[in-house]
Amino acid sequence: MTDAFDIVAQNVLWNRLVSVCEEQANALMRAAFGAIVREAGDLSAGVFNAEGQMLAQAVTGTPGHVNTMAASVRAMLDQVPPEGLKPGDALVTNDPWLGAGHVFDFVVVTPAWRDGRIVGYLASTSHIVDVGGRGWSAEAGSVFEEGVTFPPMHLRRGRAVNEEFLAIVTANSRVPHEARGDILSLLSCNDTGVRRLLALMEEYALADLASVSDFIFERSAEGTRQALLRAPEGTYENTIELDGYDAPIRLRARMTVAEGRIEVDLAGSSPAVGRGINCPLTYSAAYAAFGIRALLTPEIPNNAASLAAIRVSAPPGLVVSAERPSPVTARHVIGQALPDLMLGCLEQALPGEVLAESSGALWTMSLSGAGETEFTSLNVALGGMGARPGTDGLSTTAFPSGVGAVPVEAAEVAAPLLYHSKEFAPDTGGAGQYRGGLGQEIVIGSRIDEPLSLSAAAFERLSSGPAGRAGGAPGARGAARITDGTTITDKGIYRIPAGARLVLRTPGGGGFGDPAKREKSAVARDLAHGLISEETAETIYQGTDKGRQRP
Amino acid sequence: MVRISIDIGGTFTDLVAETAERMASAKVLTSSEAPEVAALEGMARLLEELSLTPADVTGIVHGTTLATNALIERRGARTALVTTKGFRDVLEMRHEKRFDQYALDIRMPEPLVPRPLRFGVTERVTAEGAVLAAPDPAELDALCDQLQAEGVEAVAIGFLHAYKRPDHERQVAEHLRARLGPEVTLCLSAEVAGEIREYERFSTVCANAYVRPLMARYLGRMLDALSVQGFNGSFLMMLSDGSLTSVDQAMRFPIRLVEGGPAGGVALAAHVARQIGSQKTLSLDIGGTTAKICFIEGGTPKTSRRFEIARAWRDTKGSGLPVRVPTVELVEIGAGGGSIARIDTLGRLKAGPQSAGSTPGPAAYDRGGDAATITDAHIVTGNIDPEGFAGGVITLRPERAKAALTRDIQAPLELPAPEPAAAGVIELADETMANAARVHGVELGLDVASFDLLVSGGGGGLHGARIADKLGIRRIIVPQDAGVGSAVGFLRSPVAFERALSVVTLLEDADLSALADRVTEILTEVRGIVGEVAGPEGLEARVTAELRYQGQGLEVALDLPLDGAERPDFDGLEARFLQRYAEVAGFTLREIPVELVSISVAVREPDRAAPAPLGRPEPKPRRNAPREVFDLAAKGPISYDVVARPALNGCTLKGPVVVVEPQTTTLVRPGWTVRRADQGHLVMERGAP
Repeated sequence: MTDAFDIVAQNVLWNRLVSVCEEQANALMRAAFGAIVREAGDLSAGVFNAEGQMLAQAVTGTPGHVNTMAASVRAMLDQVPPEGLKPGDALVTNDPWLGAGHVFDFVVVTPAWRDGRIVGYLASTSHIVDVGGRGWSAEAGSVFEEGVTFPPMHLRRGRAVNEEFLAIVTANSRVPHEARGDILSLLSCNDTGVRRLLALMEEYALADLASVSDFIFERSAEGTRQALLRAPEGTYENTIELDGYDAPIRLRARMTVAEGRIEVDLAGSSPAVGRGINCPLTYSAAYAAFGIRALLTPEIPNNAASLAAIRVSAPPGLVVSAERPSPVTARHVIGQALPDLMLGCLEQALPGEVLAESSGALWTMSLSGAGETEFTSLNVALGGMGARPGTDGLSTTAFPSGVGAVPVEAAEVAAPLLYHSKEFAPDTGGAGQYRGGLGQEIVIGSRIDEPLSLSAAAFERLSSGPAGRAGGAPGARGAARITDGTTITDKGIYRIPAGARLVLRTPGGGGFGDPAKREKSAVARDLAHGLISEETAETIYQGTDKGRQRP
Repeated sequence: MVRISIDIGGTFTDLVAETAERMASAKVLTSSEAPEVAALEGMARLLEELSLTPADVTGIVHGTTLATNALIERRGARTALVTTKGFRDVLEMRHEKRFDQYALDIRMPEPLVPRPLRFGVTERVTAEGAVLAAPDPAELDALCDQLQAEGVEAVAIGFLHAYKRPDHERQVAEHLRARLGPEVTLCLSAEVAGEIREYERFSTVCANAYVRPLMARYLGRMLDALSVQGFNGSFLMMLSDGSLTSVDQAMRFPIRLVEGGPAGGVALAAHVARQIGSQKTLSLDIGGTTAKICFIEGGTPKTSRRFEIARAWRDTKGSGLPVRVPTVELVEIGAGGGSIARIDTLGRLKAGPQSAGSTPGPAAYDRGGDAATITDAHIVTGNIDPEGFAGGVITLRPERAKAALTRDIQAPLELPAPEPAAAGVIELADETMANAARVHGVELGLDVASFDLLVSGGGGGLHGARIADKLGIRRIIVPQDAGVGSAVGFLRSPVAFERALSVVTLLEDADLSALADRVTEILTEVRGIVGEVAGPEGLEARVTAELRYQGQGLEVALDLPLDGAERPDFDGLEARFLQRYAEVAGFTLREIPVELVSISVAVREPDRAAPAPLGRPEPKPRRNAPREVFDLAAKGPISYDVVARPALNGCTLKGPVVVVEPQTTTLVRPGWTVRRADQGHLVMERGAP
């Protein structure tokens, strides 16, 4: 290819495709109902070619959406063949095994037509606040109890929105109007994306996206291959143990790095359980790939080719490859542990280059009124990120999720709750030459003196903290209790009596490197800032310089 | 009447003096330690040139990056934060979110107030504004002892829900004032940024407290020195939102000054838009390092109250300190003349955001820079004539530009010649800028194609036409003498002030009568602030309500009409919201209540009379020899007529034409026409006869 016009056009196209998705995602984020969805950016948007292969994707959003959507468009088109589609048509599904792993996430796909044929697809995914069933908890015994599942179907035929579909959604949702609004937002943002894509093709007089697909895929595949070659070839294994619903769960990975590709086999992980923390393989694979890519290929954009170099498999029926009808609402409890599982494998390939384990799954605080006043409220309590080689871990910041917390003022405006405190929890960051990020202590109660109901579905790492690396100590494990004397030990539903408070302490990140090697000035600073106790400074870090000078 | 503007930047201090007859400018190096020294020197030089004395000066307008630099370089006061007990880490927890999903090594900026200086005190107000716990005087006494022991110079007070009920902040401030005396600065979050969201509000009040002692001292010295020299005119400060305010206000809220410099540039663009009669204007200022975009409607720049200063991680969005003060809504793009073109690891062509700036600068400058930049690309395609570049100040070496493009771009892409490689670099830069404008337009719910494009800066005229093509824009304005920039903009800015009020109540539940009273009260206060400086006559008040569907983040701003008694009229607000929402989102929703989020109250003085035209007497029209310019779409060179700007008077020319002048070059591409408007500005139109 030596025509400058073509080369420049391809470059412009690639940039613009990414920007089309970003624009879609931003519009969705602002339009989303539910503070947590907005803060979280629990959504994604992407552009696909006529074959249903992903060309570009918004980098906002959580990895769970980002990487599952790559597969879901093709999967939907297999069920609703494009030959039967007409201009204006749009498809929708919330099938956990086709979309993003639980019934809350709706995927909408809209074909882009040019000169009477489909030249590409715009897709977007967003978390809908409620679709019926048991709501946000791990209590369901099967996916049938978790809400209504919609197989791929028309959201719009030509210009007519499928009101029957929307009527089923609204008839089954506790927040019907918001659910309808969120789904219409997906449709609307895809329409905008389609217009942008067609304007772009017009500007560059493109009949189809074939050559730009080739350009993007060739370059991404080669870039990915080169980056993966940095990891020495070999087979690496790792195991992580999680609390599980009420009994420990083992996650196991066998990673093979060869010829610029990575194959991961999750065989040996625990079988699926009877409560909703199981994870469909698409979602497990999405997070596993994220962990690998964040370490090895952070610069390479997401698309079909860059994701193809990493293959994740598992025998069916495990907690990481749950099959219908296993319940999957809190699938992130498992999914978000997979990056740490992958990083533990890569640590053996690239010793000293891999961050320590992080607090993992977002602690979803799902609180609702159990007295006269009805309300539901979702927020997250975030723990520490693992220490990085060369830098302390970030305190109270989620990894691998990209979600942030809802501000206290906004949370209190949205629900009759009162936050009594929310501060760093000292000594929770794993000790090391580089310290793990700190967890936090949050105390919440009712503002109207009524009982509350809490789902503890995502309070993970209550029995052991995230592991350190290269001689670093593990981060502190999490703790959750109610001031009436109840200790939270499993992922069930808890009642917080009127007048009592919920006290959470999120896990800290693991430390990196030998604590004795930590700069004394850093130890002194942590002590002065109250991030570590005197005792930790003296015993684990062997004092600050100041301490040593004392007679 | 003699007015002077002083724009103190990090490197240079620009001054402009304007009398009824003429305008003069000066540029001096900024004296960082005592910025007033260089400014006064520059002023003395200007006055000498005009044969005037400081006593003749009727007004000075001043903008400075001093506060911004103090925040970036962390040279502010030793500041403490007094906050609600249990929440002293709000400032350090930030949004508890990584601003880059894939970068595992990101770092957050250090908070302005370190943990040992963040103190929690007993007090609590609920989201409804009810008091759960009042401050305890004995506890405050103990706190004062600690603050004194720590040698704190400034105290920021930020309590939860203070935007709803500021009483506790005031009580604590009174207590502290009585104990700590006037020498310790006190700032209240409800006054500095009275809006919901504790992190942003606390961040803003801390930043304000952090720079206030420094700014107060500096402005005190400046005023003293001026008065010693006999100056007794008005002295106004340039705010981030493109308006002017008194020194007293500036000293109270120095955080509102941070974007004063760039705001001056936008103020000038807004002024030109008003002169030309452009109702919808997209301002694009292409400088040496970055390009800046701002939308201007009805001659008023778009402002927002979300801004981020001192980005700490590779200039990434989200890595700085948020401040919630009115600021011109500028989008900065890493695509200026010095932006470096390269092929990345994936074999993609990239233009920026890395920049060679002006030092070492583009390869053709031959000042040590070797990388191919956008300026080099313009030289290779023939857009820029190497002769007489930048008024002859810089001697260009075109062969170095060609070598850089050949090596960095042509060879890796296996192109037949450097010219198409260079044209590709420019096309990509055009794309980046057009894209930023498009995305920003969508965010604001604006139809970019219906705007005029006003280009300025050294690269504005070179990129304007192609960017307009990409955006569907049909008219381009290239202002006369845009090079003097911000400092002139200061002289064209109105005295104005804005204050916001968080409401966050359903429209159906809101006590609109009480709210109207409150708005009228704030309006009176803001009128007072503006009137004190600009006089009470003819002030324009604007009250804007921000609404959204309850639970959604998509906020829609609507103007509220005022009746004769200055009370806002809320009638029909919901219907107007629904209409505007449908325009932005494409649909409306059913049965979801509409929430009134906030109300902002702004007052400005009426437009200043247009000054004397900037135009100069023109020499005889003449045409230079035509120039060959490589064109990507034509896949080869096109011959452009070359015309000096003054030669355009009174005629309309069809592209391809290059309009040349000392500071910049304007490319009138095929399909465009160009003429010179009355005030000297160039106007290009697409498809016009």
